Amino acid sequence: MFKKIAVAISLLFLIGAAHASPLSYNLKAEKVAENTWVFQGKLEDFSNRNGGNIVNTGFVVTEEGVVVIDTGPSLRYGQAMRKAIESVTDKPIKVVFNTHHHPDHFLGNQAFSDVDIQALPETGKQIAMHGNAFAENMYRLVGDWMRSTEVYLPSRPIESDHLKLGSHSFKLMSYTGHSGSDLVILDEKTGVLFAADMIFFQRALTTPHTPGLHVWLDEITKMRDIEFSLLVPGHGPLVEDARAFDQMSAYLAWLDEVLTESAKEGLSMTEVMKLPVKPEFKEVALKRREFMRSVVHLYPKYEEKYF
Amino acid sequence: MKLKYAAALLAASISLGAQASQSDPLESPLWDYMRQLFIGDAPYVFDDKVSVDVPEFAEDPTQVPITVNASALSGNIQKIVTWADLNPIQHIFTYYPHPDIVPRVSLRIKVQQGSAVRAAVLTKDGVWHIGGSYLDAAGGGCTTASVGNANPYWESHLGETKSRFFPREEGGRYKFKIVHPMDTGLVDAIPEFYIEQVVVKSESGQDLAKMELSQPVSENPVITFDVRNKQSKYSVWMRDNGGNEFETAL
Repeated sequence: MFKKIAVAISLLFLIGAAHASPLSYNLKAEKVAENTWVFQGKLEDFSNRNGGNIVNTGFVVTEEGVVVIDTGPSLRYGQAMRKAIESVTDKPIKVVFNTHHHPDHFLGNQAFSDVDIQALPETGKQIAMHGNAFAENMYRLVGDWMRSTEVYLPSRPIESDHLKLGSHSFKLMSYTGHSGSDLVILDEKTGVLFAADMIFFQRALTTPHTPGLHVWLDEITKMRDIEFSLLVPGHGPLVEDARAFDQMSAYLAWLDEVLTESAKEGLSMTEVMKLPVKPEFKEVALKRREFMRSVVHLYPKYEEKYF
Repeated sequence: MKLKYAAALLAASISLGAQASQSDPLESPLWDYMRQLFIGDAPYVFDDKVSVDVPEFAEDPTQVPITVNASALSGNIQKIVTWADLNPIQHIFTYYPHPDIVPRVSLRIKVQQGSAVRAAVLTKDGVWHIGGSYLDAAGGGCTTASVGNANPYWESHLGETKSRFFPREEGGRYKFKIVHPMDTGLVDAIPEFYIEQVVVKSESGQDLAKMELSQPVSENPVITFDVRNKQSKYSVWMRDNGGNEFETAL
């Protein structure tokens, strides 16, 4: 009897396994400018349905090889990216950039282990220090999508603020507002600005490692001087005008104001979390969740000012 | 209508005593065990008048904000006991509010995993009123070394307290913060070291609020509570399990 049940159960598992669709990101490279492709992530939080594909990554094909911007949340994503790149060009990958140390931007590095991977000096240190904890957390959040993913460090720090490759010239800019070390890349040939997570658009920004909302705000103001034709935010739809800057500035200023006023009034953290998000941001995805997270990240410092 | 129903439910549960097997609205696997541990065989009722505010998820498991509010039972309270069912050390704090103080308190706690977080309010008639919320968490909050442990700052600042009064239309709010590592004792080679007692006193020396804290209260505790009378001057006295006493005017 017991044996029969055991056989039945194992049969069930076999059927289950045969029917389970293999996890696939179905990455489609979208051509957004001359020689320039982007993979757009979903406007969601990490989940085991999206496999962590919530991020925008991209690549530029130059005469002398391909420049890759960020490698996504997992080995599987990095591999899918590489496949998609190979379907567009047979040029070799020349350099990969990790824009900052957050897991959805560098955990695909293993798929590019034969290539030069560069990041800002501080980003390399941050990945070395926090990478494993991030990876562990990603396994918990998205599950099997992460299989075999391990932290693979950038091979060297960025040493110059320019990279000339074929007819393309990339300006490499260093900011700190989002994560303490944020790389922004402007392709001066096409005018495409890879703003990474310095800019979120139509998706609420995240604040776990910001050095401060004012730092971020000031840097956004500086970034407005950059001349671009198309802005690729780290999260959210691409945009050709200043709307993403406007939204960032407005949201950061609002967040700073809410936290300041709350601290002045002596609100507790649970009370602040319940405050309404300004109606102006009603179109912004994940605003409530990210607001609650930001309260945890930032409120203690604001409270400190009003003791 | 709702009130009547609640009253009937309350009456029913009292008459049935502890055997009134109301099912736990949070469906926690440890409810029965926790109930035995904290309220024993005393009569109890699940009661919306006791609220535990927690975020839906613990962004930082070492600093989870909670607000326990029993002001709907104000004036009728003997004590409030709070705990997290699935924490390795379940008890968070026990609170004895004086009638002059609003029985609502906010602080931050550590959680080891997703758990029901409870407040059980013992009213003067001997009935426990149970409120609670479910908190989702990645976990690890109780077995993470305190930030202070990696940084000697606390050694020279232990017990430093900051406080501020925020006037309200009626009465007002006190918020205070004390530098203390609040080590749980669950981290290898770091013994437990935490504030056990907090007493808010009025000018005349009367105890207005008494709290007994346990290890899950977060490092550098920030405690918020409301008073009905803004004229009085208060002070707070604290003692940790190392026998250190801290006293400061609020």
